[in-house]
Amino acid sequence: MSADTTSDRADPAASTDARPVPPRPEIGTTILEVRDIGKAYGAVDALSGVSTTVAAGQVTCVLGDNGAGKSTFIKMLAGAHTPSEGELLLDGEPVTFASPRAALSAGIATVYQDLAVVPLMPVWRNFFLGSEMTTGVGPFRRLDVKAMKQITSEELARMGIDLRDVDQPIGTLSGGERQCVAIARAVYFGARVLILDEPTAALGVKQSGVVLKYIARSRDQGLGVVFITHNPHHAYPVGDRFLLLNRGTSLGTFEKSEITLPELTALMAGGAELDSLAHELERELPGSPVARELAADASETTTPPPPGSHGRP
Amino acid sequence: MKKRFLAGLGLAAVTGVLLAGCVGTGQDTASPDDDGADLTFAVVTHSSPGDAFWDRVKSGAETAGDDYGATVTYTADADPAKQSQLIDNAVAQQVDGIVVSMANPDGVQDSVEKAVAAGIPVVTINSGIERSAEFGALTHVGQSETVAGEAVGTRLGDAGLGNVLCVIQEAGNVGLEDRCSAAASTFDGTMTNIQVDGTNDADVKATIKSKLQADPSVDGVLTLGGQYALDAVGAVEESGSDAQIATFDLSEDVVADVEDGSVLFAVDQQPYVQGFLGVTALQLFVTNGNVIGGGQPVYSGPAFVTKENAAQVAEFAAGGTR
Amino acid sequence: MTSTDTVATATRPRPERRPLRTVLARPETGALVAALAVFLFFSVSTPQFLSFAGAGVWLESASTFGIMAVAVAVLMIGGEFDLSAGVMTGFSALIVGILTTHYGLSVWAAVVVSLVVCLGVGAVNGILVTKTRLPSFIVTLGTFFALAGIDLAVTKIITGQVAIQGMAKVPAYDSIQPLFGASVQIGGGTFYVSVLWWFLVAAAATWILLRTRAGNWIFAVGGALASARQVGVPVFGTKIGLFMGTAGAAWLVGMISLFRTSTVQANTGVGQEFIYIICAVVGGCLMTGGYGSAIGAALGALIYGMVFQGITFAQWDTNWLRTVLGGMLLAAVLLNNFVRTRAGGGR
Repeated sequence: MSADTTSDRADPAASTDARPVPPRPEIGTTILEVRDIGKAYGAVDALSGVSTTVAAGQVTCVLGDNGAGKSTFIKMLAGAHTPSEGELLLDGEPVTFASPRAALSAGIATVYQDLAVVPLMPVWRNFFLGSEMTTGVGPFRRLDVKAMKQITSEELARMGIDLRDVDQPIGTLSGGERQCVAIARAVYFGARVLILDEPTAALGVKQSGVVLKYIARSRDQGLGVVFITHNPHHAYPVGDRFLLLNRGTSLGTFEKSEITLPELTALMAGGAELDSLAHELERELPGSPVARELAADASETTTPPPPGSHGRP
Repeated sequence: MKKRFLAGLGLAAVTGVLLAGCVGTGQDTASPDDDGADLTFAVVTHSSPGDAFWDRVKSGAETAGDDYGATVTYTADADPAKQSQLIDNAVAQQVDGIVVSMANPDGVQDSVEKAVAAGIPVVTINSGIERSAEFGALTHVGQSETVAGEAVGTRLGDAGLGNVLCVIQEAGNVGLEDRCSAAASTFDGTMTNIQVDGTNDADVKATIKSKLQADPSVDGVLTLGGQYALDAVGAVEESGSDAQIATFDLSEDVVADVEDGSVLFAVDQQPYVQGFLGVTALQLFVTNGNVIGGGQPVYSGPAFVTKENAAQVAEFAAGGTR
Repeated sequence: MTSTDTVATATRPRPERRPLRTVLARPETGALVAALAVFLFFSVSTPQFLSFAGAGVWLESASTFGIMAVAVAVLMIGGEFDLSAGVMTGFSALIVGILTTHYGLSVWAAVVVSLVVCLGVGAVNGILVTKTRLPSFIVTLGTFFALAGIDLAVTKIITGQVAIQGMAKVPAYDSIQPLFGASVQIGGGTFYVSVLWWFLVAAAATWILLRTRAGNWIFAVGGALASARQVGVPVFGTKIGLFMGTAGAAWLVGMISLFRTSTVQANTGVGQEFIYIICAVVGGCLMTGGYGSAIGAALGALIYGMVFQGITFAQWDTNWLRTVLGGMLLAAVLLNNFVRTRAGGGR
């Protein structure tokens, strides 16, 4: 199956339920922007003062440790929560989403960690779940099985998976492949912004690499991607900008040109914290190899690299 | 993999056929032999599984079969639609005669009439006495609930009772309802019906007990089945009431209770007789063209078991035949 | 399972598709094999099972179980149980019986009223299950008891009896009776229209499951409810539709039984609900939902009907009836699983 990237969509007139195709924006055009967004639950501020943009053909990484506020943040983008402060702008216009369905209609697709797939159902049925294509009218309205199977094959091939049998239950695919199907589904159904919630969290090294490639591919198709992760080593290769969250606040948004991987890691890992941890360990277990290694790590991340070099790729 | 799978399938099929060969119980193909040697009679009742009363009907029918050298099969289902299917089943097997109990005559009318139309003699037993002739049955062997009920009502009055509960254990059985209304018609006191779940003895006992406790003026409990009389005995004891108990239908324990006085009297419709005579009527018809009853039902009861004759009845109750 | 490194060679090595293997892996294949085994067994071991008369009997028996088994299977695929399905077959018939024999309502109107009421109860089941998030097992157990009590109490209050009598004398009875209770004689056997209804219901259910959007939704809400919700499947509507489906099937079976025997008792249908579930499971439905087939359930009911009547044809002592039924059903389920796992590569 040739990956024809120019004429992408199936002819919308052939099916009754395919989503409309939005025009392809220029790379770098801001699609979604958040300004000083925040969410409070009663007296507790889960998130406050976060600003960033999501642009077409670019990946915005949202980084932070557990409890940093990442899930609250994506829920606001996805329409599951309304922000308590700040605003959300879509194509420059302020917007509020009443429900996830509303966000979806606006072209913001979220792929959660559980992937929203039904393991026992075949790949093609999962692909079109909720948006099935039909032919015929009235009581003879039936699923267009042939078209759906064909499109599923094609879309997966476009993302780089060649599945000869789209009839197999999706549960028999590997974790990485399932991520790919979920992403391909969002891309096909006209998502303009793709939010991926920790897609590599449960995967091994090789599979994570594969998923990163899928992310790159969907970026190349002109989508704006929001990639949430707590692993800077995954984020850095594909990211164009990085939003760091820590305990509900933003540590800043950095373009790729403004920051290096070690700096990113340091900001995330909290170099000072690592330092004091190493100190403590040294006191309790003097001269332990672990403590020494930690200390070495800490000093490496806190001392700025010499100018002209950008550390590890 | 494929070979093993096909082998497994083959094994299953062969096992099925072999098992079939092993289970060849009494395959009497219905070739009517007039000396009665190879006859098959089907008894199809409305009993729920494990009912002690119907077990005696079954005993009677099977004993008759043994005596005459005929095969007697016994099937039952309380739902009239399913009982109809069992009758159809017997007709499809081309049996030589069918014994049917009709708790809900409308429900089995179609199948009984089809059996008669197919040339298979039908005898009804136990219930459905009023529709038996209409459906084309040879005769009915049973107890007229009206006759028995009226006799019971009179006896209860004679015993000096004034406020009696009539305990109905099976929803949907018009015969049971008839018993209570017939008894009420000749009873000169008040009779109230109460509904219990006959498949749950604890519930029967509890319901009677609470009724007795709620209304101390109740001085009699009339049950419509042997097992329920025992439940009533327990309920009366536990509630401290001094109500007297009378019952339709027997069991070994009921007879013992009549002997020792905790049950006033029991009405025996003699289920064993119903089964036995039912098969006998068919046997006589097939082998000798006889029709017993003269177009009228043949009464199997009521036979009253009182303190006077209880000891003698006890012997037979012990054998599961009374 | 690790996929290959580079995207360009992401073609996974796959065994060539064997059509036979695909067929054998379907949920209903095992049930078909089991049905054939049971059929062969009784055909060989009894003289009349295989005759037209015999076939008429076990087909009729299978059909009334089968209509419900199909509906219950579709519901099970959608992840729910309906324990009120059995008693509703009596409930629907009682409504018609009472309205016609006691209130003189036209029998056609009574039948329609009964359908509307049953669908209403089904909708209530669905609403309770989705809104309270209680297990459907519990909710429908409550409905079951409520209906059983109503059946008995209301019938007794209105008619003074516990069974409907005199239905056949109701005006226009003969015009509606053939729709649900007609029969045709073929080769010495009586074949009832309930078999045709069974076939139609199974065909409709299969169509819905495999060829409509609703079917996709049913598999999804049964397989992974949260996922279905996330992609926008109308969960609420699907579940309510499923419960109304079993209620509608119960209405149909109630009508068939009523017009076949012209009577119904207050305790009709009580206790049958587990048989429908057994038939569905024998037919390959997973009790956890998300997998199964309507045809499989129909075959499961066929097996049940053949065993139920076959035991009588074989003239075995009927005291053993339920043990034999249980044993044969267990064997059918095991055979079903064997076929599916050996042929389909395991589940």
